[in-house]
Amino acid sequence: MIKGYAGRILEVDLEKRTHTFKPLDEGTARLYIGGKGYGTRLLYDMTEPGIDALGPANPLIFATGPLNGSVAPQSNRFAVVCKSPLTGAIGNAACGGSFAYGMKRGGIDILIFKNQSAKPVRLEIDGDRSEVRFIDADDLWGKGTYATQEALDKKKYHAVIGPAGENKVLYAGIVSDERIAGRTGVGAVMGSKRLKAISVNGSRKLEMDDEEKFKAYTKWLREHFRDHPVLGGLLKRCGTANIVNTANARNIIPTHNFKYGHFRDAMSLSGEYMADHELVGVKSSCIHCPVTCGRDVKVEGVGRVKGPEYETIGLMGTNLEIPDLKKVAEWSYLADDLGMDTISLGSVLAFTMELQERGMLQVGLRFGDAAGVSDMIKDIGHRRGLGNDLADGVKRMSEKYGGKEFAIHVKGLEISAYDPRGSFAQGVEYATTNRGGCHIQGASMYMESTGPLTINPQNLKLKAEIPIVQQNLACAINSMVLCMFTTYAIFPKAVHNLDPKSFLYRAIVTAFENSGPVLRTVMGIKGRPMLWFEKWLTYITGETFSSGHLQEIGARIFNLERMYNLREGFTSRDDTLPPRLLHESTFKHMKSGHPLPQLLPQYYKNRGWGADGVPTKRTLERLQVRV
Amino acid sequence: MSITVELTYDMSKALGTRRFEVSGARTVQDVVRLTREKFGERGEAFEKLTSVAAVVVNGVLINHQSGMSTPLADGDTVAFFKAAAGG
Repeated sequence: MIKGYAGRILEVDLEKRTHTFKPLDEGTARLYIGGKGYGTRLLYDMTEPGIDALGPANPLIFATGPLNGSVAPQSNRFAVVCKSPLTGAIGNAACGGSFAYGMKRGGIDILIFKNQSAKPVRLEIDGDRSEVRFIDADDLWGKGTYATQEALDKKKYHAVIGPAGENKVLYAGIVSDERIAGRTGVGAVMGSKRLKAISVNGSRKLEMDDEEKFKAYTKWLREHFRDHPVLGGLLKRCGTANIVNTANARNIIPTHNFKYGHFRDAMSLSGEYMADHELVGVKSSCIHCPVTCGRDVKVEGVGRVKGPEYETIGLMGTNLEIPDLKKVAEWSYLADDLGMDTISLGSVLAFTMELQERGMLQVGLRFGDAAGVSDMIKDIGHRRGLGNDLADGVKRMSEKYGGKEFAIHVKGLEISAYDPRGSFAQGVEYATTNRGGCHIQGASMYMESTGPLTINPQNLKLKAEIPIVQQNLACAINSMVLCMFTTYAIFPKAVHNLDPKSFLYRAIVTAFENSGPVLRTVMGIKGRPMLWFEKWLTYITGETFSSGHLQEIGARIFNLERMYNLREGFTSRDDTLPPRLLHESTFKHMKSGHPLPQLLPQYYKNRGWGADGVPTKRTLERLQVRV
Repeated sequence: MSITVELTYDMSKALGTRRFEVSGARTVQDVVRLTREKFGERGEAFEKLTSVAAVVVNGVLINHQSGMSTPLADGDTVAFFKAAAGG
């Protein structure tokens, strides 16, 4: 077996309460690394088209990669893969915390849950003894994610669901420590299996090809990261909420259900404001991570809890027009404890407020008014009253109550807190990303709107190139499995110190902006490992990984996801943006919204797809995508 | 002619305000000059911070307009900010 892998897949049948250890397939690991890539390959092969995402035929796959279980910074994340009950498309989400570490210590690369238990159950896995215990979970059913984890064995690492997962809220997530695999409703699939919690441990040490090189390089890199303006600066000082002020200045922070891109009181919700007024502690939220992007704040009546992330602030603060960080922190805590995604939740609340504003639904939720929001979040988590409708997400709400023109989702997944009208590459990424409207499957906005060296985000240059490079890279990163934040260190300190108004800055950006297809060609070169994650993979596995290798593997994963979606009946018509974002402008100089129709044909061509958005036979063969 | 100036956190601390209006600014350069004059010593501290800050007019980076000479119209918003990262 290639080094870095435990070499085992644990397959659990929840209906029969049986389990089997199987060998990891080395060929698949070479093609897809692990994590999301390997998980997608398994899902494609294990399922028939058209299965009910909340039925027994939908497997729930937890997948780690070769970097998990090491002490590499930002490396303890796992991917969850299944068919999404929210979108009907490929479902996946990644999560930090400590569960990935536990899986690898237990000697398990991948964990597959098949079928459904007749009653609530939890699993305890002893990796060293290869033992799996099925334990009735009636006593935990109904408990929040925090209380559930508190009740479990402290010597093990856990992944749990809260009431939202149990009640099959379509955007429920899976929680490890204070982190959540939030997107696409993976928690609802776990709830449909009546699987409340998984606990795992073991004492296996990760085997590496060249441990000495790995250790020496990682030690040096930790020092480098400590001095990096993003990993050692912005994220450490302000958490992810450091973006609030920048996104607001660039007119891309969702406001009033994406009607505007700027919120007058955004500063009261910023990471800097949180640091000065609300913060009671900073911590590493994922095991072995030195970045410490986690915040601790106090919520009245609860105590010290995880502070809200940028996405939560963008969707539940500015988008609802509520400049009250204490309130957003309370809602963030409620959502985490119930176990649901704050991006989809914030978006569905904003959509409901607009329905109310237009007289299409009387529910008592209004923009700029915090009254009723906490109760509605609880009602959603428990599927009570109107909360039962909101629990189905924006797309289904718009089908029931109207308002499709202002329903902010792509393929049924509510979009993240970056308005693509001021970030065109991000818009292409939203439209084409296989799991739907999400930012973290590429994060193109960093290259054009929020980062230290940004191209013009509102012309057509590179907008059909950057999303491809970024999506491919994200697929590879999510298969190692690393945190996407690691890619923010690609720009060195010197770039952060450039004056954006200087000639040098403008010269670099102009050259970059005009690089056209050269960008993909350069990124595709299979050479020596240059970046830290390429080196880590190489030192751990003994195989050579360079930018070109990762772009190829990422493209393979992306195309396989695409083929899954096509098999499920999705077409190029689903590669779109919400009507509001295509037709309404938020900028004085723009008459319309995002120019997606001008960019999509070139994106398809660059991907090696036909004009119908279907990967050509040649592309699939070149990438070795078996369908 | 009135221009709204918006600041991110560090700069707002330097000036002691998050948002203010300036009159008579025809370009972004005028905004910096008038701010320095309006706030005295604090204005000088602010000017230093702007030396590595990005500037947008109505959400559009001035790099993609005419830089510090970007012309302004009544009611425009000029914002100073720095790079950010997260997700």
